[in-house]
Amino acid sequence: MTSVMVVDDDQDLAEMLGIVLNGVGIEVDLVCRGDEAVDVFRNNPPDLVLLDIMLPGMDGIEVCKQIRKQSMRVPIVMLTAKSDTHDIVKGLEAGADDYMVKPFKPSELVARIRTRLRRVGGEISSNLTIGDLAIDIVEHTVMRGGVEIPLTRLEFDLLVALAKEPGRVFTREALLGEVWGYRHSTDTRLVNVHVQRLRAKIEHDPENPTIINTVRGIGYKAGNTGPRG
Amino acid sequence: MKIFNIFRRSLFLKVFTLSSVISIALIYFLGSNLYVRISSGIIDEKISASLSEGESAIQYADYRFIISSLNRSTDLVGLVDEIVRSTNVSAKDSGREIAFFSSNGEVIQSIPAVSTSNFLEPSSIPKSFRTQVQKSGELEWKRTKLRYLSGEELDGMVIGQRITIPRTGKYEMYVLFGFDAQQRSVDLIGRSMWGTGFLLIALIMITASVVLRQVIKPVKEAAEIAERLTSGDLMERMEVRGRDEVARLGTAFNEMADTLERQISRLENLSRVQQRFVSDVSHELRTPLTTIRMASDVIYASRENFDPVIARSAELLLSQIERFENLLADLLEVSRFDAEVAVLSLDKVDIVALVRRAVDDLGLALKERESQILIDAPEERLIIDADPRRVERIMRNLVANAVDHAEDKPIDITIKSNEGAVSISVRDYGVGLSPQHIERVFDRFWRADPSRSRIRGGTGLGLSIAREDAQLHGGEIRVWGELDKGSNFVLTLPKVQGTSPIEPAISEIPTDSSIS
Repeated sequence: MTSVMVVDDDQDLAEMLGIVLNGVGIEVDLVCRGDEAVDVFRNNPPDLVLLDIMLPGMDGIEVCKQIRKQSMRVPIVMLTAKSDTHDIVKGLEAGADDYMVKPFKPSELVARIRTRLRRVGGEISSNLTIGDLAIDIVEHTVMRGGVEIPLTRLEFDLLVALAKEPGRVFTREALLGEVWGYRHSTDTRLVNVHVQRLRAKIEHDPENPTIINTVRGIGYKAGNTGPRG
Repeated sequence: MKIFNIFRRSLFLKVFTLSSVISIALIYFLGSNLYVRISSGIIDEKISASLSEGESAIQYADYRFIISSLNRSTDLVGLVDEIVRSTNVSAKDSGREIAFFSSNGEVIQSIPAVSTSNFLEPSSIPKSFRTQVQKSGELEWKRTKLRYLSGEELDGMVIGQRITIPRTGKYEMYVLFGFDAQQRSVDLIGRSMWGTGFLLIALIMITASVVLRQVIKPVKEAAEIAERLTSGDLMERMEVRGRDEVARLGTAFNEMADTLERQISRLENLSRVQQRFVSDVSHELRTPLTTIRMASDVIYASRENFDPVIARSAELLLSQIERFENLLADLLEVSRFDAEVAVLSLDKVDIVALVRRAVDDLGLALKERESQILIDAPEERLIIDADPRRVERIMRNLVANAVDHAEDKPIDITIKSNEGAVSISVRDYGVGLSPQHIERVFDRFWRADPSRSRIRGGTGLGLSIAREDAQLHGGEIRVWGELDKGSNFVLTLPKVQGTSPIEPAISEIPTDSSIS
């Protein structure tokens, strides 16, 4: 059974989240302090973390950084009462994969959690190469010259989405649909921040990317067909 | 015009010029008056002295001729010559000249018709004056110019009287005086008066400018500091020295600035507190609202198990929570605009695709309404600098507003661009707007007809937020409307940020307007 750790200082909200998630067959572990969340995560790693930003003990952004030190893989979804660009970007840069602004629809939350937990590339059995990177779909690894580059699941999903159709131009909205499971959203901050994070890990020179290329005004495409070859 | 402007702008120049002009006029008036008095005094004195001297000279000559009449052997020619030569000092050197004229102009008994001293030209004595002397018999005088054979000329006077030379006939004797020395003194006085005048004017100007600077400097300083205060630098104060009127100005000015600063910071604080409060309230409301939302969703999902009254209540609960959510989100957005913390998150955006997507998304939500939405857009991409989230929200608000008022008639959306801007018009053919409505259409919570049912439960903040979003981009929304003919909202955004002012690519007045 899938397990989700919910970190929120509002007991009632946490309990309600528990009811909703239990209803769709997800096991929930409730934590209401930031500092406790890191210990609970270490002792009993869940499949996904739902993390409020305003927390007693340690704020959500710091918790996010601590969890990322322990696990690259676990998806983290921030829950925030603030839709200000500043807070959201800070959370994404700290390693969160997605965020939800309160108040949200329960169905939307469930959909996001499912998207984050699904295995990508199920339809592709072979391995992919893009630039000098070797992507192993089954093993969920990205190698360069025999050395593994640690990516979060979301970064891996993003790279696979782009790499499985090299040269195709993906709009940000298409990527939001493909990778994040959004259907009606133009929140391009999500795409922009994660592309930056991914480039910082896989590009030789993140300022002049050659693997993930920007197509001005439209979006991104993967591959050697970029302006710099 | 330019000089006039300079004068209007500078208090110093104005006062300085005025005081200079007044003092120059005053000094000129007084000086020339004094000069005239002094010079006429000097000349008058010379005239009266000359008159008595001339009179006695003539009387002496007369006396000599009377004596000579007693002695028949007297050499009259020699006597005339002697009298003429008796003046050994020329009028040029403050002396006098003497001239004899025969009244009928003939040489009688070897006495020349004209004899003058020191090469004086006979023409120095004007003809008119000679006639006057011949007729009068009294002592006459007149101002004249003394001329010499050498060409010299000098101002002076001539005194004349008829004189009878015994056994010979009628003659006129003239004594002439030069005013050269007097003229020189008068000239000297004049020159020194000019010099003194200039010196005085210069002194007055210097004094005026020093005094003016003293007075104007603090005024200028106050003006500069007031300007800086106006531009928002509330910490500026005047420097106060001494206890004079200028110091009082400074003190009063500083007190004013203090009061101003206190008031402004109080107001700033109040509005900060108020905005902070709105923002905090909105945030604090979100967490319980999320719980309520989820709870009502759970209840709603199992409404089939309840009896119809409770099931309907669950539906109403959910829809009202949704409305409440929208209102809260809009309120928070408005408070962000009011606090001026709203920022653009810019991207290169294909505006055509964005508008199509916004309409498609809204179309799903508005399925129950009949209005058809037609989009007339260019085939190619139109890439602009914009915050996609905000532009999509503008489109959502404009289209939702049009659908609400279209009365199920179709809605036309047109996208056009010009050199610097992109315009998107949203036209409906429904209830329309009166001129009074147009003025208020962007007001918060304003509704054209309060009795109209709230069809979609819009928050009443949509258009207001749309306009704020457009303005944040450096763009604008223009409105046209006519009752029963519909309305037209035209959003115009610059293609590249920072290139305002922009020109709309579509006029808000449609071609079917009766006004146009």
